[in-house]
Amino acid sequence: MNYLIPLMVIIPILCALIVNVIGEKNRTTRLLSILVGIAIPVIALVAVPGVQYFGGHNPSLIGSMLPASLNGTLASMYNTGIVYVFSDFERIFIFIMGLVAFLAVLTYFTEKKEISGPYLYLIFMGLAAVTALMLSDDIFNMYVFFEITALAQVGIIIATNTDDNYEIALKYLIIGSIGGPMLLLGIGFILGTIGSLNITDIAYVINHNLVDPLSPGLVIGFVLILFGWFYVSGLPPFHTIKSAVYSKARPNGAAILQGFSVMCMLAFGIALIRIFHHMPYFNQLLVLFAIIAMVLSVSMAAMQWDFRRMIAFLAVGELGFVALGMGIGTELSLTAALFQATNEILISALLFIGFGTVYYLTKTSDTRKLGGLISVNSTMAIMVLLGGFAMAGVPPFNGFMSKLMLVQSAFDAGYPELALIAIFVSITIFFTFVKAFHTIYLQPRPKDLKFAHETIPKEALFAVGVLLVVCLILGLCPWIVTNVFSSFVGGLI
Amino acid sequence: MVVMDVQLASLFCAGALVIIGLFAVIFIDNIIKKIIGIAFIEEGANLFLIALGYKAGGVVPIFMPGMNASWFAANSAYPLPQALVLTSIVIGASTLAVMLALAMVLYRKHGSLSAREIMGDEE
Repeated sequence: MNYLIPLMVIIPILCALIVNVIGEKNRTTRLLSILVGIAIPVIALVAVPGVQYFGGHNPSLIGSMLPASLNGTLASMYNTGIVYVFSDFERIFIFIMGLVAFLAVLTYFTEKKEISGPYLYLIFMGLAAVTALMLSDDIFNMYVFFEITALAQVGIIIATNTDDNYEIALKYLIIGSIGGPMLLLGIGFILGTIGSLNITDIAYVINHNLVDPLSPGLVIGFVLILFGWFYVSGLPPFHTIKSAVYSKARPNGAAILQGFSVMCMLAFGIALIRIFHHMPYFNQLLVLFAIIAMVLSVSMAAMQWDFRRMIAFLAVGELGFVALGMGIGTELSLTAALFQATNEILISALLFIGFGTVYYLTKTSDTRKLGGLISVNSTMAIMVLLGGFAMAGVPPFNGFMSKLMLVQSAFDAGYPELALIAIFVSITIFFTFVKAFHTIYLQPRPKDLKFAHETIPKEALFAVGVLLVVCLILGLCPWIVTNVFSSFVGGLI
Repeated sequence: MVVMDVQLASLFCAGALVIIGLFAVIFIDNIIKKIIGIAFIEEGANLFLIALGYKAGGVVPIFMPGMNASWFAANSAYPLPQALVLTSIVIGASTLAVMLALAMVLYRKHGSLSAREIMGDEE
């Protein structure tokens, strides 16, 4: 039994509950939060790959204890409890999400003298939920943890105290209340058709034609879960509300929110591929919505004067690249999609925290009122510029490597038009980002620009620096993650 | 007299609840009514799951001492959907509580429950 696997979920939940209670004790709360922030990536690194059967069940043992009438039936092979699977693939994402959560918590401490226990509670509950999402092999368990993530996301926006945050939070909840039940109904249709919620069992039954892969229950389930996945991922028609959510959060909150979205997108995306890859038009639908997400989000980003909205739209647009890789559906494209998702968590966090320092200094996010900020801290300006280059796909950063793989996979799969769209969108991201950077940092400073703070917190510099170094390492040595992703994808398709 | 199968009737009701709820969320302007619509959708999904586990003439899926395992396996209702619905009810209640709290805050802020007035200028 590998106890470190469930501990990756239990520790942040316990931490969330404790900091919620002792939130007013600043020192203890800070210490505990930082310790747990460090513990999660460390546990992810040292944990041995394995499987955790909750409730102690093990299908190979339970099968022999069943009544004789069930012997040889599908029911005797099914997993009867929740199963967590931990491999090198999960290790990478849980490590990166843990790292981003740690850096987000660290920068949060510099923003507020009096820290909020409930805010940290939301961050740690969200972290626990997305970790469980990545580990779980049970689709209903994934739904439950997704709902917890969604509530944590709403809570993080409510706790932000910006203009219209309540309006955005309610709007997100109302829209989510359509997406969530659709996901649940889809899961119900799968359960009704297959009789199990375990993804491995479901995939086994479908792949061995033990049920009709195109039975009405599975087709309806596919449509409903795909709709739910669009909501989970922030793909159209949910891209606008998702970007609004990011732009209303604190910089550290936005960094972690985007990480949550990517993790949810990946977990459900992989489940979709494992269960429904045989569905007609599956790949075409993914590609279609991916392109709409990329083009719409990046176009809207280019039109923004508010840099927080701009990054929010760019972050959502980047998710389109992940969906594109999943939609093309080859081994290389899926590897590229997973690599792009890794990069997306890191780069978005870097930009949200990096640009967040501009808001920290000036209390405005309107680029028309900003200028000349490079003189305040040139190191941060350069790191933000390099982070933008990573997002746009400029070498030698990780974004370049994942987008290059994606373009290459589109050419290899015989879709040069998709490759061209990806290149065009990347160029637009580059120009959008450079325009915003020039306006904020390089153009002459407006005379009426007032500063709320004179300097940038060291913790923010540290966080952005760490994220940039990781981006650079993954850009120079992509094989660190691509080898793992490639072998994972090999078992997937 | 035509007697409709209980499972079919439940599935029909679940579908009706989801459709009525969707109508309320999409077309009704009042936020409280939208939230009631959301409750309809959630309950529709729950009823659908419960109906999946229904077994005509079946027994409660609790294995009691003295029961024959094969008889129990053949005659008990499917317990998994019931466990799912319990969890789903908790999730639904939490979501509704947060939505109602937000509706109260927004009513105090805007003096209205109209979604168009409150959220119209967003996006």
